[in-house]
Amino acid sequence: MIGRRLLTLWAASVTLAAYAATAGLGGATPDVAVERPLSSADLAALKQKFRRPAATPFPKGNPFTEEKAALGKSLFFDPRLSRSGSVSCATCHNPSLGWSDGLGKAVGFEMKPLARRTPPVRNLAWGAAFQWDGRADTLEMQARMPITAPDEMNMTMDLVVERLKAAPGYGPMFQRAFGGDDPISARTITAALATFQRTLVSREAPFDRWIAGDETAIGPDARRGFELFNGKARCAACHSSWRFTDDSFHDIGLTATADLGRGKFAPPSVVAMRNAFKTPSLRDLRMQGPYGHDGQLKDLGAVIEHYAKGGEKRESLSFEMKPVELSDRERRELVAFLDSIRAEPAAVELPQLP
Amino acid sequence: MTFPTLRHVAFAGLLLFSAAPALAAEIEIPIHHTEVADIGVTPKVGDTLTFVNHADIAHNLYLTFEDGTVQTLDTQPPGTTKRTTLAREGHVIVRCWIHPIIRMEFDVSDK
Repeated sequence: MIGRRLLTLWAASVTLAAYAATAGLGGATPDVAVERPLSSADLAALKQKFRRPAATPFPKGNPFTEEKAALGKSLFFDPRLSRSGSVSCATCHNPSLGWSDGLGKAVGFEMKPLARRTPPVRNLAWGAAFQWDGRADTLEMQARMPITAPDEMNMTMDLVVERLKAAPGYGPMFQRAFGGDDPISARTITAALATFQRTLVSREAPFDRWIAGDETAIGPDARRGFELFNGKARCAACHSSWRFTDDSFHDIGLTATADLGRGKFAPPSVVAMRNAFKTPSLRDLRMQGPYGHDGQLKDLGAVIEHYAKGGEKRESLSFEMKPVELSDRERRELVAFLDSIRAEPAAVELPQLP
Repeated sequence: MTFPTLRHVAFAGLLLFSAAPALAAEIEIPIHHTEVADIGVTPKVGDTLTFVNHADIAHNLYLTFEDGTVQTLDTQPPGTTKRTTLAREGHVIVRCWIHPIIRMEFDVSDK
């Protein structure tokens, strides 16, 4: 009898546990952004989320050295890394054009247009995923991709190594950067390129001075734009942190093409990744455009209109894409805010190639 | 009527704990913005993980098991939950298709 009672108690406890677990399922309370004027305390807390970091991070496996960064810079500007010998990383990632090329679509091997726009390469030291589709987990992995892509620089890493070994002057540079008897290799080339790219960091913008306490650093339009950006317009749902990106991937409802973006690498069941591309940083935006992963949006007016409409409705459309009504004034304020996160570009001294 | 002795009770208890399956636990893991909370315990095979999205953005988590098996949970809008029952032991990495910055790891014990 007591045994039966014990069994009954056990069954009841299982039932209760299952009920408790089930009851908990519907209990999630989203941390929903509230649309109301920010109190000074809320604004101060919000500003902290966009404060610049004090130092640039470098991975333990590829720490910063001056020698490695200098070598990486030479490699970045060296056209011998391409099969034609005429295209360097800097051909598309041109420092005079914000480390991009100003084109809607990049131009690849034999001047053929590529499917996507050239992304700027600033602030990648903080990146969580690289390439528009995130197929590179590290900058070291990324560095190899355009060099070896047949439709881009169309090289093999073996041929790059061969060319650099044949160039007088590279041997000592690699020696200083990496040591060893035979330091020129695919690994050291990509390590140097990644190190140089990590040194490309946006300079202090007016917005940063405002965040640091200078109330006069940005105007009232930019301040209202900042609140819109974080509130009604919900831009900060993805364009968050001091880089104004969380490196997330979304289908923002642009006109779909054969390019599935991250959907090419995700299982077919992950519908949200079809037509999904990386959220770009908004720092140091070239205000004249074009925008979008493939340059579909010609200017900032088109970008804001696209987000106001909410993008093309389809199964993969990001959950974050919701239509929003924005007045002309609010649009101007958003643009004023974007202008406030632009810094004077750093002077770039071109390397003398070995 | 015969009252049970201590020996009867002990025998009944032994029967109960040998016959009943080990109770599977349900472990709730909150998500805030792009942070999946640490699991805090070592779950067992058969335990159920319940991911609760408290963020105001959607997530799409996937679990990679030590043997390379990948289990993808569906898109998880704000305020919703996704559950998965752990089918194998070993190291597990939780990531998000939408937010590669998300990474949480834990080990699953066999019992």
